[in-house]
Amino acid sequence: MNSADEMTPKERFLAISQGKEVDRLLVSPLILNFASRALGMKVRDFCTDGKNMGNANIACFKKYRHDVVYIFSTTSTLAEAMGTRMYFPPDDAPQVETPFIQSREDLKKLKPVNPEKDGRIPVYLEAVKRCVESIGNEVFIVPVIGAPFTTSAALRGTEVFIKELYTDPELIHTLMRAVTQSVKILIDAYVKAGGVPVTVEPVATGSMISERHFREFALPYLKEVYTHIHSHGLPGVLHICGKTKRVIRCMAESGADILSIDNIDLIEAKELVGERVCLMGNVSPADGMLKGNPEIITDMVRDCISKAADNSKGFIVATGCEVPIQTPHENMIAFLEAGRKFARLPIGLN
Amino acid sequence: MEKTVILGSLARAVVDMDVVRAGEMAREAIQCGIDPYEAIMDGLGKGMNRVNELFEEEEYFVPEILLCADAMYAGIEVLRPFLPKETEWNKRKAVIGVVKGDTHDIGKNLVKIMMDNAGFEIHDLGRNVPYSKFIDTAGELKAELVCLSTLMTTTMDGMQVVIEGLRKSGISSRVMVGGGPISPGFARDIGADGYAKNAVEAVRVAKSLLLDTGFSALIPKKPELVSVKRGREGAR
Repeated sequence: MNSADEMTPKERFLAISQGKEVDRLLVSPLILNFASRALGMKVRDFCTDGKNMGNANIACFKKYRHDVVYIFSTTSTLAEAMGTRMYFPPDDAPQVETPFIQSREDLKKLKPVNPEKDGRIPVYLEAVKRCVESIGNEVFIVPVIGAPFTTSAALRGTEVFIKELYTDPELIHTLMRAVTQSVKILIDAYVKAGGVPVTVEPVATGSMISERHFREFALPYLKEVYTHIHSHGLPGVLHICGKTKRVIRCMAESGADILSIDNIDLIEAKELVGERVCLMGNVSPADGMLKGNPEIITDMVRDCISKAADNSKGFIVATGCEVPIQTPHENMIAFLEAGRKFARLPIGLN
Repeated sequence: MEKTVILGSLARAVVDMDVVRAGEMAREAIQCGIDPYEAIMDGLGKGMNRVNELFEEEEYFVPEILLCADAMYAGIEVLRPFLPKETEWNKRKAVIGVVKGDTHDIGKNLVKIMMDNAGFEIHDLGRNVPYSKFIDTAGELKAELVCLSTLMTTTMDGMQVVIEGLRKSGISSRVMVGGGPISPGFARDIGADGYAKNAVEAVRVAKSLLLDTGFSALIPKKPELVSVKRGREGAR
């Protein structure tokens, strides 16, 4: 246990969700592919092998004792399992190479995902199981799933997909229905493996689409996803990066309990949706974690806490998006130390 | 049909994302003997300028811009054969691409559309572009501007490699950068000449860069937290 902490991350998470007394707010930088560095691994070796992915996350947790262990490599992992071809750089997150749905005809080829077999879902499942077995008594293991809009975009090709919001809405809905079914299958598989799945929907960011399109094409399927997650007795978490001011009210209507946000002022977010949802964010990954220094990061963490710690539905100290892979160790330490210090309850900020 | 009506309809077709109508009205323009150059500039182009405004007003987002651009290009396709060869466009050359390691190109495509509409001769190198390709192309074309884009923190440092390579090769192109993780502070630190936070602003920054010599980034009246605190020789 870190000397500044009185509870394990899991005890803290549970206490907060049950409204019990707790030592401090959760401090949960979005450590994703960065976990590979705990074992000095290249990202490709990390994200294509369940043993590596699990062991690196275990080592990373032992090193930093962050409050949530995420299992993630790219938002397109489900799309990959459903047929999209990916390209794997030696030391960076995989990216979409060839989308699966090249024509309307290809919709017929869509099949519900088989988590035991398809794509790299078995890699994720093994990583989850290893982590649950090794550190699951101390911290929740949280596999990250691309939500329906984001997964559909990766199956169709994002640029084509967002144009079809206008030119072929029927195709979009057909695709979204099929994908939502697979998202639910994947949720069940991760829960069965001992994980607490969460969802990310970055393609539905306000940097990309309007609130009207979010409402029409993303929101109904998100609602279905969170209803399903709630049926497992788990909280719904929705992460969307980029600008979210225009869509954050819709995000709060999705049924998600926690909104992880990036490029929006936390006071503004609090005023818009703080009555309804717990907020999570939003230290800058690039200017803070990667290019900043411990002093800058400490200020940024403190700033987030001063803005949002009093949010009525709660606040989680986090980065706005993925912690960059090349983030210096001392910057990560600075983030966590500032979090442990300033997020201690009652909030004093001194 | 009257000229003003046709020009207005061309503009309208672009704003309405109507590919079919843009083509029809372009053919109508030719039939009525309207100068194709004028049909592009005062018809389609005017529509695209309105699209810029709608984007800035947050009425239009990415899908809208892409579809408006489709309509604009559908009209241009019809008009192009009627343009005199080597029309005196006096276009200024710019090279654009997404730096090596990154295949996210929607942002770059938006900038390309807007720059094209603003009268730049824009050479698109695509995505995942090797650093040397930017340098070689800028040198060969004697481009006045190089535009670098990335969405990823793992690839942003590649922009600095390109800028240093350009300088080392004695190429005097101005460099403008942008993309998700890029801030004005970062742009300044790596020696870029300009930073734009979105596609509409990219046009303004590009124009201002070709006018004067200083660093141009339109938003930061008060410089960002990071660049202030770090100063010039801050830790990295």
